[in-house]
Amino acid sequence: MHRVYEEDRALVARMRAGDQRAFDEFFNANARRLLAFVSRRSTMDMASVEDVVQNSLVKAVNHLGSYRAEAALFTWLTEICRHELVDTHRKAVRRPTHVSIDEGTTASVVAELRIPAHMEPESLLETELHAAAVMRTLQLLPQHYARALEAKYGDGLAVEAIANLLGLSTAATQSVLSRAREAFREHWEATPADAVAKGSPR
Amino acid sequence: MTETPCSVSDPPATPTDVEPLLSSGLAARDSGPAALERIRAVVAQAWVANSSQSQVVSHRSRGRLALWRGLAIAASVLALAVTLFAVRPAADRQMIGSLARSVEGGTDTSQGYFSRRSVAAGDVLRVGDTLNVRGSLLVTLTQGGTLRLAKGTVITVSTDSQITLEHGLIYLDKPPGNSDVRPLRVGTRAGLIEHVGTEFEVMSDEHVVRIRVREGQIRYSGVTGPVLAGAGTEVVASAGGMVTQRSVLSYGSDWQWIATLAPSFAVEGRPLMDYLQWVSRELGRPLIFADEQARESAHRTILHGFAQDQATLDALADVLSTTNLSFELAEGAIRIHSNR
Repeated sequence: MHRVYEEDRALVARMRAGDQRAFDEFFNANARRLLAFVSRRSTMDMASVEDVVQNSLVKAVNHLGSYRAEAALFTWLTEICRHELVDTHRKAVRRPTHVSIDEGTTASVVAELRIPAHMEPESLLETELHAAAVMRTLQLLPQHYARALEAKYGDGLAVEAIANLLGLSTAATQSVLSRAREAFREHWEATPADAVAKGSPR
Repeated sequence: MTETPCSVSDPPATPTDVEPLLSSGLAARDSGPAALERIRAVVAQAWVANSSQSQVVSHRSRGRLALWRGLAIAASVLALAVTLFAVRPAADRQMIGSLARSVEGGTDTSQGYFSRRSVAAGDVLRVGDTLNVRGSLLVTLTQGGTLRLAKGTVITVSTDSQITLEHGLIYLDKPPGNSDVRPLRVGTRAGLIEHVGTEFEVMSDEHVVRIRVREGQIRYSGVTGPVLAGAGTEVVASAGGMVTQRSVLSYGSDWQWIATLAPSFAVEGRPLMDYLQWVSRELGRPLIFADEQARESAHRTILHGFAQDQATLDALADVLSTTNLSFELAEGAIRIHSNR
């Protein structure tokens, strides 16, 4: 077993024994990254993203015994998040949304209309299209390439941390990152898409 | 006017610099610290419930172990004196309630450091007692209402009108019309909570205290001053003093744990309306009558028999099956209607 998975296994064992410090380490290392993980894969509002992550983490702490340290703890958590996300979308499809236009005062409605410049619909759409194009391209790559790129450019992890996540040496991880960037570039340039989606957001 | 189609698939003349593309494309929307604290509160609650709280090790207390050992000998003399004080008859201490039901695991009580013992249904809870709940527990309060404690919770009865939540999750139910001279308050690490005829839940760990108000209103007094919160509000106070509020549902899976500790309702000779109102409060769902005939029937019908030990909704279905009324759960409410 890779050393980092052994560390994750030990962390989980301490949590199961009720060690408060272990819980803090677990939460601080994973919660914010999971929020980013889910928000990149969904166009839901942030409150819904937070609900998905919260439900996933609750399921994780309820089933700590099923973590076998066959993958990094974060990878295990992302799998739970993926299932939760699918469930959430499934429920949303089944449940039509009804919003009363009578709710709230006129003042609150007017206040909602004043959007900061960087959140103007045009700018937001451009950002979302670009993010979606990047995620689509990542999905075309081998899984460990995509995971390495997301960890580096999305989560801002250092190479050593990415090496731990992938279960590789630092040198091997640098090599993987280099090949992953090249593969991303090839797919990005080869895949036709509209100019807005592929351009960088303003 | 002729439109010229623009080319969108021409390959770039130079290789794309993918690093800025990836950085901008993978930049995630951020949640504020308040959202993280809310999530931490919920996850910590689940974690505490799943790990034996008796095993929870506080790193702060661990760090102080050596100091305590050093002081142990000196303290023993003092302990002897305190023991003499502590073993005074329990009847001298004021009773605030009694244990009504324990689910999945026992409960220990101690007074100070000297008289830890297991307690069971029927035992009384007095000022000075500390309850260490290994399962979950329902307490009937002397002044009316109930207190429910989740697995892993530790509380101390500080005075006849105040309990201190050391850590864990509790739910206090003081029915309306129950006008206390001295309403029960809940002390936490982050402040004091007073109720105004209400049902509310409090969760506390080392980092946050979370209060969810299901009915009525509470007053939370923390380091930043008092906060009034009404039904359907969640207040989260972090150890750093930050207090945030948001709306929450008063029903659903988040409240499931209290359903397993629901006090029994004595149905014999009571109007159906009383029972429906009790169910409404237990489930956190308002009662709606589809027609006036249904409302009148609920007032008129007198119940006989005894309540089975079953889930509240199942019991409601059983009770209504003996009447001309039916129910459905609709948009957060319990809708009662006449059978056609």
